Amino acid sequence: MTELPALAVAVPLAGAAALVGGTLLKRRRLIDAVAVAVAAGVTVICALLLVESTRGPIVYWFGGWEPDNGLALGISFAIDPIGAGLALLAAGLATAALVFSWRYFDAIGGLYHVLLLVFLAGMVGFTLTGDLFNMFVFFELMGVSAFALTGYKVEESEPLQGALNFGVTNVIGAFLILTGLALLYGRTGVLNLAQLGAALQGTEADGLVVVAFVLLVAGFFIKSAMVPFHFWLADAYAVAPAPVCVLLSAVMSELGIYAIARVYWSVFEGALGGQAPGIRVVIVGIGVVTALIAAVMCFLQRRLKRILAFATMSHAGLFVVGVGLLTPAGLGGTAVYVVADALVKATLFLAIGILLHRYGSGDEYHLHGRGRELPWAGLLFVIGGLGLAGLPPLGTSLGKSLIQQEAALLGYSWMPAVFMVASAVTGAAVLRAAGRIFLGRGTRDDSVRTEDEDEETETSGGEGRTPLVMVVPAALFALLSFAPGLIPAFEHSTTEAAHRFQDRQAYQSAVLQGVSPPLPALVEQSSSPLKGLVSGVVSGVLAIGLALAALSWGRLPLALRRAASPLARVLSGLRNLHSGHIGDYVAWLTAGLAALGGMFALALR
Amino acid sequence: MSRRGRLFVFVAGALGISALFVWGFSGLPDFGVQPSVYGEQLSERAVDERHATNVVAATTFDYRGLDTMIEEFILFSAVIGILLLLRAQRDEEEDAPHDMAESRRPLPTSDAVRVFGLGLIGPTILFGTYVVAHGHLTPGGGFQGGVVLASGLLLVYLAGEFLSFERLAPEKLMEATEAVAAWTYVAVGLAGLVAGGLFLTNFLPLGRIGDVFSAGMIPLINVAVALEVAAAFVLLSDEFLEQAVLVRKRDRS
Repeated sequence: MTELPALAVAVPLAGAAALVGGTLLKRRRLIDAVAVAVAAGVTVICALLLVESTRGPIVYWFGGWEPDNGLALGISFAIDPIGAGLALLAAGLATAALVFSWRYFDAIGGLYHVLLLVFLAGMVGFTLTGDLFNMFVFFELMGVSAFALTGYKVEESEPLQGALNFGVTNVIGAFLILTGLALLYGRTGVLNLAQLGAALQGTEADGLVVVAFVLLVAGFFIKSAMVPFHFWLADAYAVAPAPVCVLLSAVMSELGIYAIARVYWSVFEGALGGQAPGIRVVIVGIGVVTALIAAVMCFLQRRLKRILAFATMSHAGLFVVGVGLLTPAGLGGTAVYVVADALVKATLFLAIGILLHRYGSGDEYHLHGRGRELPWAGLLFVIGGLGLAGLPPLGTSLGKSLIQQEAALLGYSWMPAVFMVASAVTGAAVLRAAGRIFLGRGTRDDSVRTEDEDEETETSGGEGRTPLVMVVPAALFALLSFAPGLIPAFEHSTTEAAHRFQDRQAYQSAVLQGVSPPLPALVEQSSSPLKGLVSGVVSGVLAIGLALAALSWGRLPLALRRAASPLARVLSGLRNLHSGHIGDYVAWLTAGLAALGGMFALALR
Repeated sequence: MSRRGRLFVFVAGALGISALFVWGFSGLPDFGVQPSVYGEQLSERAVDERHATNVVAATTFDYRGLDTMIEEFILFSAVIGILLLLRAQRDEEEDAPHDMAESRRPLPTSDAVRVFGLGLIGPTILFGTYVVAHGHLTPGGGFQGGVVLASGLLLVYLAGEFLSFERLAPEKLMEATEAVAAWTYVAVGLAGLVAGGLFLTNFLPLGRIGDVFSAGMIPLINVAVALEVAAAFVLLSDEFLEQAVLVRKRDRS
């Protein structure tokens, strides 16, 4: 049991290296089986870690280099329920993605499996580590493997373009993180998160600390695709193979947000905590802007993967709001929302994969009415769409309402409206596509020809039937997405985990002294489930209404359609910003970093 | 965005970032002041505790051995990624190498390049091996030595031709070497567990300070990293050369 933290990383890495042998032997089924077994093993390890970490933080010193007189010499994993939970999520989704891939690709070498396991190891290590430099190294490992997986379909230029945009922007993110880290090291001379926190505690927040914070936050914002660092995401998610998208969308984006929470509470809170309201305004503001812009962009797409890419972004904006509230309840609500939303997005991406496998197209107009023979797949889409909208009893409604309530307590009384709009519009986009594909509603719209119309796919398409290994994971996720809302203990334990996550003193003494003080008794907050229920129902209904309106657009009164035309001009301007040109993206990123720095400088004066 | 627009946004941002950097970096300690408690501690301990006279090696391969293991896997997955992205596609076929400009007589490798290239292969490999083997004693180690070893193999390409280079370092062998080397690092970590310590705990005798066989597991990891790096660089060069020399897109018409 005590070796589990090391095995969580060592097992997937050893498995990946061993699988290269499998690729040389060219035994496809053997490779599949080993990869699934390794990922399942990691899932079990992470589940055990999660259970154990609820009893208190697990600290593991690699090489046995324990701190000497409170000075960290080696690298530690410092595992709490939130980190372990994210690792479990990553491992579970990776296992499902590998099972799904069993029959998904026509001709696939084992290199795909090798990279997927490395990607998994990167994500698991990233969530478990307690060392800032080690965090950066895992960030890079995650990136390198994900870039290659994104470009998997090398037969076309689009995936390579998407992978390139992904690679360039995220490597810039890594540079920012490294620079921020170097500043902190220059000041304090240490790298362990707990040690950094202890060194900065109570010091004056001067330019160096603020700039280091800005650089780290910006680097992680690139990963989680906050406006204006977000441009790469849709390009990458739209071209990555569907099973890879599951991991990118349901975990990787969220890890950027996790990292901001981790460094804020373990390192910076001691120096910057006094100005929390200022930090809150900036982070929450960025989250809100991202949530709304991405929701609009989401509704404008016609390719299913792009719809989901922007939905991922929009909801990541909502997560950033939850974390940015800088309170335990906000973080706890976000944890619930992240898990529930991950299951919904996984369901949807796998359902898209099923359509791609069968019809060789992921375009809602191309598939018009063709899904009638697959009513069960339609059901997956509807559950997914309503899940994005946050309709009770789906788990997303609980997460959403927890964040909204906390935001309202902190004076953001308009926040429920933002959540309602973002979730309803993203849900509506999926429901609209489902209505067109599975019910044959709306126009076929052959007149609109876009250059991305003849999208080739990772599978040959035209398969007569859908293999069970593809249906089962998707259906399982759809069922699981109800769980977070229906298990009352889930909300309680995430709130508890969030409290512990933010207790800097307890974290420091657990890591550096090896003693964990007993948990303070949790004060139950009076949450009002009814309010959350109502807002959930409203956004669900709103999503359905929007989807219906979009499907019967041609039959709406002319006056209404005329009134919408100025809006169309704004929207096309917004669309044009997402040019796919990497130079544009880097220019926005540069300006965004400067703006972020300016905002934090003002907020932390 | 237009070229001008892009430039404008970038320059405005870059100016802001410059200001930000000046503000941040001016908070660093003055030149020559070394406040790193961590660095000081490791410098003091490494020789006594690890019997390694190269403190950098003791830090990267022992105290912070996990970082280096992950870095090795970053290189590993970068190469695997390149292999995946540059794999032969359905509409491509490999031609025997030939000059694309038919009318031109290819220049033969000059005798001077040939002689110097061949002459340098031996010393380069020897030097690479030395750098790897003494990584725990003097500056150097697996990463640096691995690159030197790889350049020794590349001299074969320079002095001879692509095919003899491929015969000497076939892709499959390099792939297997890379995988085994990456795997070895994890295995060393696991051996620490088996020997009763934690992952990556040293399980080999530390030996006498200054000996080639000393500093516990560090030389072993150095060898693994050297193989990984050498194989990775040979594979990378091989893949890119193959793209240029062998693979041509079949005429679609």
